[in-house]
This record gives sequence, structure tokens and C-alpha cells, in this order.
Amino acid sequence: MVKTADKIEEEIRAIFSGDTPWVTIVWDDPVNLQTYVVYVFMELFGYSKAKATELMLQVHNDGKAIVSTGSREEMEHDVARLHEYGLWATLQRGDQL
Amino acid sequence: MTATEGFKRHGDHSYVATFADSEKEVLLNLCEQIIELLAERQDHGHDDPLAAMVGITSHDSPPEDEVLHRLLPNAYADQVDASEFRRYTEATLRQKKQAHAISMRIHLKSSDDGTVDLDHDNANAWLGAINDIRLALGVRLKVENNSHEELELLAPDDPLRGVYAVYTWLGWLQETLLSALIDDADEDEESQLGNS
Repeated sequence: MVKTADKIEEEIRAIFSGDTPWVTIVWDDPVNLQTYVVYVFMELFGYSKAKATELMLQVHNDGKAIVSTGSREEMEHDVARLHEYGLWATLQRGDQL
Repeated sequence: MTATEGFKRHGDHSYVATFADSEKEVLLNLCEQIIELLAERQDHGHDDPLAAMVGITSHDSPPEDEVLHRLLPNAYADQVDASEFRRYTEATLRQKKQAHAISMRIHLKSSDDGTVDLDHDNANAWLGAINDIRLALGVRLKVENNSHEELELLAPDDPLRGVYAVYTWLGWLQETLLSALIDDADEDEESQLGNS
């Protein structure tokens, strides 16, 4: 898969700051409506409808998708908010994917 | 009274639906159940009242009940990390989910004619609550293993048939609210582009 400019920039920043980036992963779930998943991504992360839809399709087709990257604390915050809205999310170190 | 047509957008950031008495009753009943379910695991005999006050609990294992487990999932694959995170966050997560269902209940209870008018934040609370109810019903229906085609074919006397009917109806209701909200978000995005 071709990496987006955003993603490459994020990774470079993480390498130079010396912090291992953490990631938030959303897992596929047979109950949550596709439209709902798109809406939650737009609402919680401020993503455009296009980006949110792309991520939702990745969850649906691949079984999971990385929806955000950052410090461990930031990812814990993201996971808590995703759980509040019923999405099935976990966090882990980016280098242990 | 006729069955609801779902949510429609009325002007800016206002989402309106009118429910028949029987629909309102079903929704209220489901709200009550989810509120009660989320309240269950009380911290009996907490050693540290101060910790309890700030939402730290003494239990760190996932709930045994399958429905609760789906509503309050592990945040880490690693069990030690998952337990630690749960100890500090599960109580807050329960309260937030309860607050969504309580908000939904208040709107329904305070509506005499079955009409509810939600702003953006209320709409998010409703979406969260409806979703939690669907997740709970989904566990009971074993949606993981049973395809929709199989569930459509449940025998008329199968008690799960009614559960499945409510589950699909809630999905439709949620979809109507989502399309009203996403229309709004699209317009906001367009107007921001227009301004830049």
C-alpha cells in the first residue's frame, strides 16, 4: 500500500523525537453500522468524510485499521473515547505491529 | 398513532423524530435495561474510599457477562496492561455510557406527544446509547456466528425473532439519525472550503 504524506511525516517525526509511536487499532465488528463507524471517526478525530470512509472500509475488509498514532497517553485517550461510542479498539506500540 | 419515520433534520443542528406510544415504550424499556446493566458491578467493600471517589476500582478483570464484556472491552491485548487500564478507566466508561442512555430516557420521558428534538450533543448521546443497545442485543442474537439470512429465517415462535426485529429497527433508526447528521457535516465541510 502506498503511504500517505501524512503518515510518512508522522513516522519521521516519531523517529527524530526518539519516542516510539503508539497506535490505536479499530477491529471489525458485525454489529456496528458502516455509516456509524464513519461518523464516529469524523466526530472523534475530525477526519474528513473521505478519510473516515477509507478507514472504515479498511476495518471492514482487512478486519482492522490503525486509526490514530501518537504517544501512549494520547492513544489511551483515543481508545477510551472509541469505547465510549461502542467501537472495538485497542492500543499497542507501533514497533510491535 | 403511526409508526415513526425516523429522524429528520430541522434547520441547523436540530434532529427531530416522532415516536408512536408503543415505540416510545420499547425505547424507554431498553434504556432502563442498559442503565441497570451498566450499574451492576458495584465495588463492594472498596478498601480505599478515596480511590473509589476518583473512579479507581479494585477489580481489574474483564466482566464475566458476555454483554458487559462487549460494552467494556479490553484496551490492550496484553493482560497486565489491560487490567491496569481497566482499574483506572472502567468506572468512568460505565458512567459515560450510562449518561448516554439517561439522556435518551430524559428526552423520551419529557415528550408528551412522542416528539424528540435533539441538538448535536444530544444526537451523539442517542447514537451512543442506541449503539450500546444494539451491541447488547447483538451478543444475545450471536450476530458473530449467525448471518442475517439465518436470523431472518427464525421461526415465528422463536423468542429471538422479536429481539431480531428490535435490533434491525434500531439499526434503521440509527441510520436515519446518522444521515441527518452527516448531511450537516458535509455542509459544514463545504462552507469551510468555501471560506478558505
